[in-house]
Amino acid sequence: MRGLKQSPWILHYDASSCNGCDIETLACLTPIFDVERLGVLNTGNPKHADIFLVTGAVNEQSKAVIQNLYRQLPEPKVVVAVGACASSGGIFRECYNIFGGVDIVVPVDVYVPGCAARPEAIIDGVVKGLAVMEEKHAILAAVRDGLDKIIYARAEKAGALPIHAIRKVAGQTEAVLHGDDNFPALQQTLEELQKEFDKKYFFKAEVNGKVIGSVSAWLDGETVRVDGLAVHPYFEGAGVAGRLLAECEAAFRGVKRFETFIGNKSERQLKVLEEAGYKNFKTEVFTPKITWIHLRKELK
Amino acid sequence: MSPWLRLIVYLVAAPVVGGVLSGWDRRVSARMQSRRGPPILQPFYDVLKLWQKQNLANHPSQNYYVLFFFLLVVFTGALFFAGSDLLLVIFALTTASIFFVLGAYKASSPYSFIGAERELIQIMAYEPMVLLTAIGMYMVTKTFYIGGIANHGGLLVLALPGVFLGFVFALEIKFRKSPFDLSSSHHAHQELVRGITTEFSGRTLALIEVAHWYETVFLLGWVYLFFASSPVLGVVMALGVYVFVVLVDNVFARLKWQAALGSAWAVTAVLGFGNIVVLSLQR
Amino acid sequence: MTLVLALVLVPLLAGLVLLCLRADLPRRLVVVAVTGAVCVGCVALACLPALNLGELPVSRHAVNLGMMAVEAVMGLYILYVGVRARHFLIVALMLAQAGLMGWFEWTAGPEASPAPALFVDKFSIVMALINGIVGGGICLYAVGYMREYHTEAHRDVPDRRPMFFALLFVFMGAMFGLVFADELPWLFFFWEVTTLCSFLLIGYTQTPEARKNALLALVMNLSGGLAFALAIVWFYHNTHQLGLQALIHSGHAAALLPAALLCFAGITKAAQCPFSSWLLGAMVAPTPVSALLHSSTMVKAGVYLVLRLAPVVTGTSVGLMVALVGGVTFLIGSLAAITTPEAKRVLAHSTIANLGLVVLCGGIGTYEAVWAGVLLIIFHAVAKCLLFLCVGVVEHKLHSRNIEDMSGLIVYMPHVAVMMLIGMAGMSLAPFGMLISKWAVLRAVVDAYPMLSVFIVFGSAATLFFWVKWMGKLVEVVAPRQRVIKEISLDESVALYGLSVVTFLACLFFPLFSKLFIEPYVAGVYGHTGSLGQGNMLIMVIMMAVVMLFPLSFLSRGRGVKVVDPYLGGANIQGSPGFTGSGGASETVTLHNYYMGGVLNEAWLSRVAVAGGALMLAAMLVFAFI
Repeated sequence: MRGLKQSPWILHYDASSCNGCDIETLACLTPIFDVERLGVLNTGNPKHADIFLVTGAVNEQSKAVIQNLYRQLPEPKVVVAVGACASSGGIFRECYNIFGGVDIVVPVDVYVPGCAARPEAIIDGVVKGLAVMEEKHAILAAVRDGLDKIIYARAEKAGALPIHAIRKVAGQTEAVLHGDDNFPALQQTLEELQKEFDKKYFFKAEVNGKVIGSVSAWLDGETVRVDGLAVHPYFEGAGVAGRLLAECEAAFRGVKRFETFIGNKSERQLKVLEEAGYKNFKTEVFTPKITWIHLRKELK
Repeated sequence: MSPWLRLIVYLVAAPVVGGVLSGWDRRVSARMQSRRGPPILQPFYDVLKLWQKQNLANHPSQNYYVLFFFLLVVFTGALFFAGSDLLLVIFALTTASIFFVLGAYKASSPYSFIGAERELIQIMAYEPMVLLTAIGMYMVTKTFYIGGIANHGGLLVLALPGVFLGFVFALEIKFRKSPFDLSSSHHAHQELVRGITTEFSGRTLALIEVAHWYETVFLLGWVYLFFASSPVLGVVMALGVYVFVVLVDNVFARLKWQAALGSAWAVTAVLGFGNIVVLSLQR
Repeated sequence: MTLVLALVLVPLLAGLVLLCLRADLPRRLVVVAVTGAVCVGCVALACLPALNLGELPVSRHAVNLGMMAVEAVMGLYILYVGVRARHFLIVALMLAQAGLMGWFEWTAGPEASPAPALFVDKFSIVMALINGIVGGGICLYAVGYMREYHTEAHRDVPDRRPMFFALLFVFMGAMFGLVFADELPWLFFFWEVTTLCSFLLIGYTQTPEARKNALLALVMNLSGGLAFALAIVWFYHNTHQLGLQALIHSGHAAALLPAALLCFAGITKAAQCPFSSWLLGAMVAPTPVSALLHSSTMVKAGVYLVLRLAPVVTGTSVGLMVALVGGVTFLIGSLAAITTPEAKRVLAHSTIANLGLVVLCGGIGTYEAVWAGVLLIIFHAVAKCLLFLCVGVVEHKLHSRNIEDMSGLIVYMPHVAVMMLIGMAGMSLAPFGMLISKWAVLRAVVDAYPMLSVFIVFGSAATLFFWVKWMGKLVEVVAPRQRVIKEISLDESVALYGLSVVTFLACLFFPLFSKLFIEPYVAGVYGHTGSLGQGNMLIMVIMMAVVMLFPLSFLSRGRGVKVVDPYLGGANIQGSPGFTGSGGASETVTLHNYYMGGVLNEAWLSRVAVAGGALMLAAMLVFAFI
């Protein structure tokens, strides 16, 4: 659709840059490069922006800020990491106070290389970001009119990669909620997940061939243990999680008891599970910030 | 043209004209800074894009205030072009602005709060001059009806030079241009972020933009009234005033609210009221 | 006739009964019964086709004697107060007034004047309706409010509720008498009763501050009373007549000086510059008193008199001076209201300002202006009363009158907040009441004295500022607070909901009201009348419909909207309204309105008001003599 690619408004944030990339970014606005001829505006306000342009590596100070700003950008949004530091941590990568590139905290769509990145490269990155934005817009549109086209199916070992991704995406939200990223889903590698396929049943929800949610379950004696419930944030509140739980129950016909656990601050998940008939029966401290709430459902 | 026809033309054409004027404003500003500037249609692209974006809000109800701001601005312009009572038009415009301000208050963020507060100060600054303009026009033409004012024989500006200058000054505030862009500015990196519009996004922001287009056309229509007896001169002067406003926007830095309010009231008292005094002495 | 007399006497008698009732329940019953009766009586009076006022059922001489006796008692009491407080201005004013009236009674003798002592026209009916319905609402509200006042909020204040309620009803009765009286000495009698009642009510709490402010009110109103007495004596000695109607119809030459003196009295009572300080001081009294003084009685008596005399002063320099006093008061009152965060004080300044507008109308005195003035009185009474009562409720729950503390009221006291918003919309938002009236005033002013419009244009801009920033404070929500469980008690809610509905209806049906009451009155006095044009009325209705659709939009609450935190430079702390400040400390967001402290100064404004007002009043009296 017209318009979307013709008016990229930018939020420029300096995570911990040496200011080299910032100067080059602002140079884009000057008469020589004049990005406004492409409709680019530097808004300085996440709620108006489309493109989140970050310079510098992520450190202790900027980590929460990047997350906050990212959350305040309206969809469809694109993150552009400008310069070596924002892309990977650059020469500061090994510093005691540096976490790494921006993709440590938020998903990055375009990496602009350079130290400092040249204005031409930055403009190019923004233009590339526009293509990503268009793609995201298409996905969002599909979401809006595709909610009834969600397919629920069992996942095979060969399809572990998208499930790994969706678990990471959902795990990000949980980690932010709890202020702690020690969630199993975030720590797990692809190989570990593939190994789990030998033991567990995996279910997925798909729209247009893209995985948007998954859950796994296995029989442990008399009890079915359900875990790894993950739904892409775009589809929250669309009833995907409830349907995935129902799929689990359907697969283990005849088993009377289902158990699962969630973090103590995951109120949205708790609500979904309670609506599905799960009841809290014990809590368990996992880390100082995360307490597992164990839930159980008894079938008659 | 019959009032109804004018009304319909306004409702359809005003956003187009307003949008083009706004695009032209950005282009001219860019040229003044020796840049190329965006395409003339850039404001339309912006609004189209905003329309497709997600709508974020701190409190969902803040968006309704903006919706009613939009409706009332359109209504105000419609009243104006249908030839209704000028004072009524002003009050409708004020009510519209109040809804906008309340929306920003509702958003309850520090930036939009101060933006709202400053917008109120701006309203307070220009309102007396706008009312005096209506009064001055009444004293010359003996009617508050815009239809009657437009059909008045002579050039109003000859009898109301002070009021006209004061009104142009008030327009500078009304268009939120420097040096009076206290509440919200089109330029980035300000102490208030985006002031009154900070917390609006997506379609709500698009509505605000379109409301401003309507407002621009309606205010330039008012400038036209000063020259209504000679339509060509009227259109030229309306555009001329717009160019002037853009020029001033580019050459001035922002004023503090104290200075904005003080200067606006001083101009109103000297130029606007002075003109009224002269007129009433002539009677 | 009986109905009119009953309206005056029933509240007076009820006052006497209430003086003897110490228990809560019977008092409540009496208040409810009398209020209901008075409201019904007013409405009946308004609905009766034409009133034929017959002769009084009792001899007028007897009534005059009775009034003189009561007046003498009141005079002695005021003298006692003056002496005890060592406030010799009061003593002097009272003695001068008593001397004048005594001399008048002595020389005038018991001759019967031909005019009827009572008089009812559409204007008095409008005033009676305001007094009955709005005043009645306040009395009802006072029952619940005062219970809470003494049991919870202000335990330290001695409980003198019997006297309090007695005074409220006497006040109301006197106000009825005031609007129905035609014979000037009668009018004067009721005038003095309201002065004394307001003095006693303002001093209700008996704190040093209350006493001081009560004395201030007394001294200012006594000076008005002195002017009133002078007017009576002067008028009688020149024309041998005593009727208010006679005065209005007796032409410029004979009536101008007494009219000027009466306007002076009206201006003191309506708390115009330079006398505005007494009304601000009256804020120390419990809220129902403020509401009563501000909306239905007292100050309305002042503007009533000024508007009545409008046909006499119109077109004269006296009228121009009265209009100037009103204009200056409007401008300065509006500006002063910006400077203070105290809710009741803002309301007080706004009352003074709006009354200034009415006085301005009275001074201009053309038919358009009088039409606009009556409209202003109605809308102001209803909306302002509602606002005062709401502030009273909020004050009891929050223990603060500060507007800054009302942030987020819409969440934790939604009912009261919505009612306040209705009141404020009525005061400031087109197309509701006050703005329509302001529009009418502006037209009237431009037709008569275009230069006076300068006060209105600047004043109304200031008005907008302080109302909208208050409205904004009510709707903004920074930190969600616990909702107050029981916002309002039963009596209070009857009054509050009733008044909200009345405000709403007044805005909706004002064209009808104007046609039935105001236009006939204005036409009766001037021969032609002001009104809004048909087309404008239609536009107004459309606009009203648009604005009233606004609450409906809340039905589709938050569809398709994602709720996020406000932008705080990215430093938000998730799930709280705070942010991470320097050194990692968590800070909370606080929002604070502008009060323009550096530009406007309340004390300075009031000095200007006093000086300007005094100058213009002096000029008015001088013009009247010439």
